[in-house]
Amino acid sequence: MTTELESKNQEEIADRRRSQRRRDRSHSRRRKIYAGLALGVMAIYSVLTLIPFYALAVRSTVPTKESTTLHFWIPKADEVNFDSQVGNLSMFYNLDPADLKEAFGIPSTEYLGARTSLRDISEEYGIPEEEIRSFFSNFYIYNGWRTILSDGRFFGALGRTLLVTIVSLIGLTILSVFTGYGLAGLRRRDQRLVYSTYLLQMVIPAMLIILPQFLLIKWFTDLIPGFASPGLTRVIVQLGSIVAINIKGTAFSVLIFTAFINGIPRELEESAMIDGASRAQYVWRILMPLLKAPIVALIVVQLPLIYNQFLEPFVYLDRESSTLLPYIQTTVGQFSTNFQVIYAAILASIIPLLVIYIAFRKAFVKGALAGAVKG
Amino acid sequence: MTSTERTSDRITSASGAHHTRHRDLRRIRIMQDWAFISPQLFLFVLLTLVPFVFAVPILFTDMANFNDPSVNSVGFANFTAIFTNPSVAADYFPALKRTLIFVALNYTTVYIFGLSLALLMFEFGVRRGFFTIIYMPLMLSGLAVGYLAVMLFSQQTGSMNLLLLDLGIIKEPIDIFSANGTRWILPLMVGWRYAGFNMAIFLVGLLAIPLDTIEASIIDGATYWQRLTRVYFPQMWPSFIIATTMALIGAFSVFDELVAMGALYVNPEAKLLSVLFFTYGFQIDRLALGMTLAIITSVPLIFVGTLLLRLQRKLQY
Repeated sequence: MTTELESKNQEEIADRRRSQRRRDRSHSRRRKIYAGLALGVMAIYSVLTLIPFYALAVRSTVPTKESTTLHFWIPKADEVNFDSQVGNLSMFYNLDPADLKEAFGIPSTEYLGARTSLRDISEEYGIPEEEIRSFFSNFYIYNGWRTILSDGRFFGALGRTLLVTIVSLIGLTILSVFTGYGLAGLRRRDQRLVYSTYLLQMVIPAMLIILPQFLLIKWFTDLIPGFASPGLTRVIVQLGSIVAINIKGTAFSVLIFTAFINGIPRELEESAMIDGASRAQYVWRILMPLLKAPIVALIVVQLPLIYNQFLEPFVYLDRESSTLLPYIQTTVGQFSTNFQVIYAAILASIIPLLVIYIAFRKAFVKGALAGAVKG
Repeated sequence: MTSTERTSDRITSASGAHHTRHRDLRRIRIMQDWAFISPQLFLFVLLTLVPFVFAVPILFTDMANFNDPSVNSVGFANFTAIFTNPSVAADYFPALKRTLIFVALNYTTVYIFGLSLALLMFEFGVRRGFFTIIYMPLMLSGLAVGYLAVMLFSQQTGSMNLLLLDLGIIKEPIDIFSANGTRWILPLMVGWRYAGFNMAIFLVGLLAIPLDTIEASIIDGATYWQRLTRVYFPQMWPSFIIATTMALIGAFSVFDELVAMGALYVNPEAKLLSVLFFTYGFQIDRLALGMTLAIITSVPLIFVGTLLLRLQRKLQY
């Protein structure tokens, strides 16, 4: 009797366990489905994020007159139409008649009228059609890239951008470490006051500051002899004012170093002092190497902001000696009928930073999260 | 301060005879701190705060541009211009309306993109590959984002327009240069650009929540919605405030995207306040007026921003 009861009991327990396990299994199955769904959503969002980049790459090769049709890939070059006229070619494909003359060995003194067709050229100068065809088959697709890359101003502007970016980042890092060290701990009233002053930067809209700032900088630069006439002094002062704006420090730069340096034990500084180091030596030799993490975070957060700076260079720099983005804006205005040039120019301006981003993606992700912690 | 001075200070500071010496050392240390602080602080104050001191006298004049030779006082006329001068009112109020709409829609994208992506990452594991892709648009310039918007949503040639028409999702192409086109596409593209940034802010907030509070809510059988509103959000206030401050101040300063969308010349629908201040100052000889309008608009903004930051610091400590 008892054994029967026991076995019944055990059966019941086993039953309950089985159903519990079944419930667990269905729970974990449901969780797996959710995880799959979440993965799917993230994958779809990632694809959507990448579409504009891809479309830009394709569009930089799509001739303007084909831009009303959808392209998924670099289009095939049109068969060369020998009736097309030089004037139209230079309007839609940005063809420089001088390039044409040079490519076919036509003396540069010859005049090619806007209504001269390719057939006329072939007949008049005895150029085989094959040669014209091979010149144009690439030209239709890559004339945007050709225009940008053969324009010396692009590399000049890129060079100035890189110069300004590198100088600004180095200056900003050194000055911000100094500030962070001088403020570390925020123990005194004066330190807290300085800290709050920097926090103001977060709430002052950039658009409010640009007019008064320009007024001040213009007043100052006008005092510099040689600034009024074009020349090296002018360029250096102009680029220098951009650098000064970039290294003046932000709420983020001050927050991150103040917090990090505060976390370093004070005994370290005291023992360095006992060993006879001055405070400057301590900062330079001992503190700097310890600050690798916040320095990387500062650089990955500020790099895109400085490289992509538009408003200040647009306002402060002369067009001939501007950085990348004002140059791009000018180029777009100049070639407003040629979409290939516009999109090639924009893609060309993006690529250097994208390459850096992808090469150092781990540092960027880490820096983004560190930046978010500090706000 | 040399080390010997310092150590001797520590050894003898207890004795009253060396009390003044201790004070001297403290003063030296403060001065050294200031030597470290001052280079950057000088630049910061000079380039961020001094300009306003420079600007104040100009607000009461008719200074037309940065080279204006004859500047006359006009009293408070610039401050009342939005009510008394019809041409200024016709510029200012539509721009203000567009800006406020943009701020609201942009703030919505902070949650639609940023918060939901952060929640997905938090619940199902932070995946570096996805993070890298979602964060990528932040590498673009505002100018590039604006031109991308034009490339994707031009009425005739927009790639996205052509794609959506092909798929039959839309019947009529979207026109980015129309009022509605600009209104909706601009926040969409800006939201796309900052999605990774906002995701990072919320993700950090989520990762800071103590795990036992989450586990407790799961054991107690809370639904996911309850977990969100009762456990996550109350513990994420600092993140919400930071995201709000950034989105608010950032949205008022949006400029590069607008330039790319033709705001300076062809597209009046993209004329937000930032563009208005810029054109007044640099293009149409209304410098003093432009500065005044900028300050009138910014004062409430700075006030709200400061309140938000103060609230955030209170919540954090």
